[in-house]
Amino acid sequence: MIRLIRQRTIASFISLIGLIVLVFFLSRLTGDPTDLFLPIDATQEMRDQFRRLHGFDRPLIEQFGAYVWDLLHLDFGDSIRRAQPAIWVVLNAFVWTLQLALITMTLVTVCAIVVGSLAAFRAGGFFDRAASLVSLIGASAPDFWIAIVAIVLFSVQLAWLPTSGTGTVLHWILPIAVLFIRPFGLLVQVVRGSMLSALSSAYVKTARAKGVKNFPLIFVHTLRNAMLPVITVMGDQAAALLNGAVVIESIFGFPGVGKLMIDSILQRDFNVVLASIMVTAIAIFIMNLLIDMAYAVLDPRIRY
Amino acid sequence: MGRKILLVGTALALTPLPAMAQGNNEITIVLNEEVDLMEPCMATRSNIGRVVMQNINETLTELDVQGDEGLMPRLAESWEDMGEGTWRFHLRQGVTFSDGSTFDAEDVKYSFERAFSDQITCESPRYFADTDLSFEVVDEHTIDITAAPVQPILPLLMTLVTIVPSDTPVEFVREPIGTGPYVLSEWNVGQNIILERRDDYWGEAPEVTKATYVVRGEAAVRAAMVETGEADIAPTISDVDADNPETDFAYPNSETLYLRLDHSMEPLNDVRVRRALNMAIDREAFIGTLMPEGTEIAVAMVPPTTLGWNDEIEPIAFDPEGASALLEEARADGVKVDTQIQLVGRTNNYPNVTEVMEALGAMLTDVGFNIDLQMYEVAEFENLYSKPFPENRPPQMLAALHDNSRGDPVFSMYFKYHTDGTQSGFSDPHVDELIAEATAAAGEEREALWSELFAYLYEEKVADVMLFHMVGLARVAEHIDWRPTIATNSQLQLSEISFK
Amino acid sequence: MIETLSNADQASRTSPRLLPAVRMLWRDKFALAAAIFLLVAAGCAIFGHTFLSDAASSQNLRGRNSPPFSVEQGWLFILGADALGRPLLARIIVAARNTLMIAGGAVLCSMAVGAALGLVAGYTSKFVSQVIMRLADVIMSFPSLLLAVIVLYMLPPSVTNLVIVLAITRIPVYLRTTRAEVLEIRERMFVQAAKVMGASHLRIIFRHILPIVAPTLLTIATLDFAFVMLAESSLSFLGIGIQPPDITWGLMVSQGRPYLSTAWWLAFWPGLAIILTTLSLNLLSNWMRVALDPVQRWRLEGTSQNNSAETAND
Repeated sequence: MIRLIRQRTIASFISLIGLIVLVFFLSRLTGDPTDLFLPIDATQEMRDQFRRLHGFDRPLIEQFGAYVWDLLHLDFGDSIRRAQPAIWVVLNAFVWTLQLALITMTLVTVCAIVVGSLAAFRAGGFFDRAASLVSLIGASAPDFWIAIVAIVLFSVQLAWLPTSGTGTVLHWILPIAVLFIRPFGLLVQVVRGSMLSALSSAYVKTARAKGVKNFPLIFVHTLRNAMLPVITVMGDQAAALLNGAVVIESIFGFPGVGKLMIDSILQRDFNVVLASIMVTAIAIFIMNLLIDMAYAVLDPRIRY
Repeated sequence: MGRKILLVGTALALTPLPAMAQGNNEITIVLNEEVDLMEPCMATRSNIGRVVMQNINETLTELDVQGDEGLMPRLAESWEDMGEGTWRFHLRQGVTFSDGSTFDAEDVKYSFERAFSDQITCESPRYFADTDLSFEVVDEHTIDITAAPVQPILPLLMTLVTIVPSDTPVEFVREPIGTGPYVLSEWNVGQNIILERRDDYWGEAPEVTKATYVVRGEAAVRAAMVETGEADIAPTISDVDADNPETDFAYPNSETLYLRLDHSMEPLNDVRVRRALNMAIDREAFIGTLMPEGTEIAVAMVPPTTLGWNDEIEPIAFDPEGASALLEEARADGVKVDTQIQLVGRTNNYPNVTEVMEALGAMLTDVGFNIDLQMYEVAEFENLYSKPFPENRPPQMLAALHDNSRGDPVFSMYFKYHTDGTQSGFSDPHVDELIAEATAAAGEEREALWSELFAYLYEEKVADVMLFHMVGLARVAEHIDWRPTIATNSQLQLSEISFK
Repeated sequence: MIETLSNADQASRTSPRLLPAVRMLWRDKFALAAAIFLLVAAGCAIFGHTFLSDAASSQNLRGRNSPPFSVEQGWLFILGADALGRPLLARIIVAARNTLMIAGGAVLCSMAVGAALGLVAGYTSKFVSQVIMRLADVIMSFPSLLLAVIVLYMLPPSVTNLVIVLAITRIPVYLRTTRAEVLEIRERMFVQAAKVMGASHLRIIFRHILPIVAPTLLTIATLDFAFVMLAESSLSFLGIGIQPPDITWGLMVSQGRPYLSTAWWLAFWPGLAIILTTLSLNLLSNWMRVALDPVQRWRLEGTSQNNSAETAND
């Protein structure tokens, strides 16, 4: 296990470097923030001054060198829009995203495994049909649609919950509920599919043929074996959540990293883009490491 | 492992956060744009200005947008023209900054020097593009400001530069210190900004004791927040949500929508073609449908409350047959009227922008134009809007919004119409001359020159396709006594708010 | 001689094979409905543009947002009109082409590339596997919106470019799923047996591993179809996806969003089209998984065979 962690850390570090290089150069292909930051009728002197102050007048490779040099000193640069260290801006937002992602994923995992395996247990039955239908509709409805309808219904009409913002536990209910729907729908389907193929595999048949009375025990064993694809899809969904939920964050006024990232991309605030990509990438790498460890635990035959 | 994550998650979720308590004289304002900076020298930018301008940082003079008093004193009590470009400002006495220091002439001088410094990119210098300012402190409460060349509207320009104490660093600050009635007490980034009333403000104490600003990107949510009582004022909501005449108010927001034409190539270089473009659009049909009621048909780049407004200009009437006839006339003279013209819009520019652009495209196609509609994201759009224009571009019409609530056309005309203007689509020596003359003139002469320019641009030159003076919609809770004005886009003075 | 024989053999085998498929489809009414809906949607995508593109773009500001279930203006207005008075039904039919092309293209590309890389990563040397997995990590943590901004800044927002953007961002999920399954399957007895018996790698991958991985991939792909349609919608909304006058269902949903509380039908019908398409794909894929699985096929082959099939399998 220690070897696994060490290997992964090295590998992740390599990916991270690749990511930084890629994002640095690709994002600068989309122009610099001068025209976006300055008013439309700014003079050429103002534009030149802005470029000089922020180093956009230097050759790209020199800018990159300077960035890497600062990065080696743990300086992620300043946000152009916010006049603050970029990393500080990002970490502030990421704390919110992390909480939202963890709570949502935990709920999704528990609910999806229960619903999905119950559906697979009596495949083709009423519960299976109903669960499939509901989860599928949930997974394919536009989230902003659900979010606004939920606000109109629960906050305006019924006045049970606050419309948006942060503050109390109540503020978290609507965003989490809306975020929950799509990964839940997807995961229920994956759990069900995976369970079905595992239940029809030879060893389960054999066990049943041999007349093992304790079917629930088999079920649990099957579940354990059916978990591999489930964990993979879960990881993908969690990664999406860690990258931030732009729509949900902007509708509910939630100060997460997704909104920050899209704003920074559109404003070409490169230091914030890079810092947020690094932070979320590290979080995703850690999560992937946990997933690989989970593989190893679930299926001892897998060697790394 | 799963359980651990759950525990961490709930623990974080339950961490107490600052609650938004609402007392009697406390209000919550829900804005539509993130406030990324609280820098006084950036206060002319609308998202910053709505919080900072005249609430935290004040200016020497102030434009009256409620009535028609024109320019009013703020930190300067009076001013006089000393001749040869010099203006003398007599400053208010007994004014203190929120850090306790006393306001004097040195602070004024420093505020300008800081804003114009090349170590910081402030917004204010753009209003003084080709003007050199020099300052002479006469005594503690008197300052002479000299502009070269002579600047007849210098006192008006003083509404654009906020005053900061002379020990403010020459870099963007996040905790602005000002002389205004409020002080920044809390800024929970991404959550809210809280201003509290100062006890030692020089003027009359405003009624609002504490103002909390929150930001919601979604118009429907902003409207819902005022409806549910979570917020008291939403300065911008969308037309479709404005369904309650008790709380929802339309106001001219000083923005003008127009199509900037590129006169440098066929067929847009032909005045008949430009006139036909203008005649092809049924502007009335937009109002009350895609544009909120109250939207006005525009004949000039600036709103009607601006100096030199020419009310003799008649809007070009909707006349599709006439437009087709003009096109045919141009075709007969060899103008390539069938050339494809790009109609460029900016996504998320204003509510309904896509529908408006599609409707414009359809109307122009109907009279015989060959239109190619393109929607661009803001960065790409600005590239096309400002000089240098891209090489090898097709003939283009850009649908752009221009905002001028400053009371004088000088803030618009040079940039939009002068040969060297960054967004100007043509070059006309007569226009250049008029702009130069009007900029240097004062009083009635200035007014007449601007009027002449407006008429020439609209009636003879048919410089571009003027469309609408836009309106904004605000939702104000019933217990709040406040109405939006033409300046609401750029500033929202808490001192104007009272309770019923 | 042998060739002709095998051809004839195939021909004689396909026709009776097709019939049971239809019969099996008939057994599962949900799958049948789904198949019919998808056929209709495909028909719209192929023919809709030719017949309805004029009707779909003719504006009428006075008839804007006219409510559904009224045929006063003609049957095309049965679902109501949009903010410019254009018939929603005609627009949904015309938009089917772009929508299905983008979603289908993106899902197929990402599945093909992802599965191929996943098979390689799971089956070959550790080094290659590591390189591929790190690549997946990079893509996974590269925000899809940034990718979209970059690609669509340099290339015009066309259907092809959108497919590229969406396909790239969806590759990791197929890659990781495939690799995970391969890791498990290659340890199973029959794969080991095939190896011992000297089967080639290609044969093992295509004959033994792929058939087992395929159902899971199919499940993900059908769900991804919806995801891609919705992602396309949010890109349009942010101003970096397909832009008017082109239309997709996703764009229609995002354009109808401001009217949710006043004219719900603007966003509802195209949203329903998205939901129904996904639902149909999913029902059909569930059916196909059962139909293709010799162990489970009895479920669709009628009750009389039920017991015998079960006992035979057991």
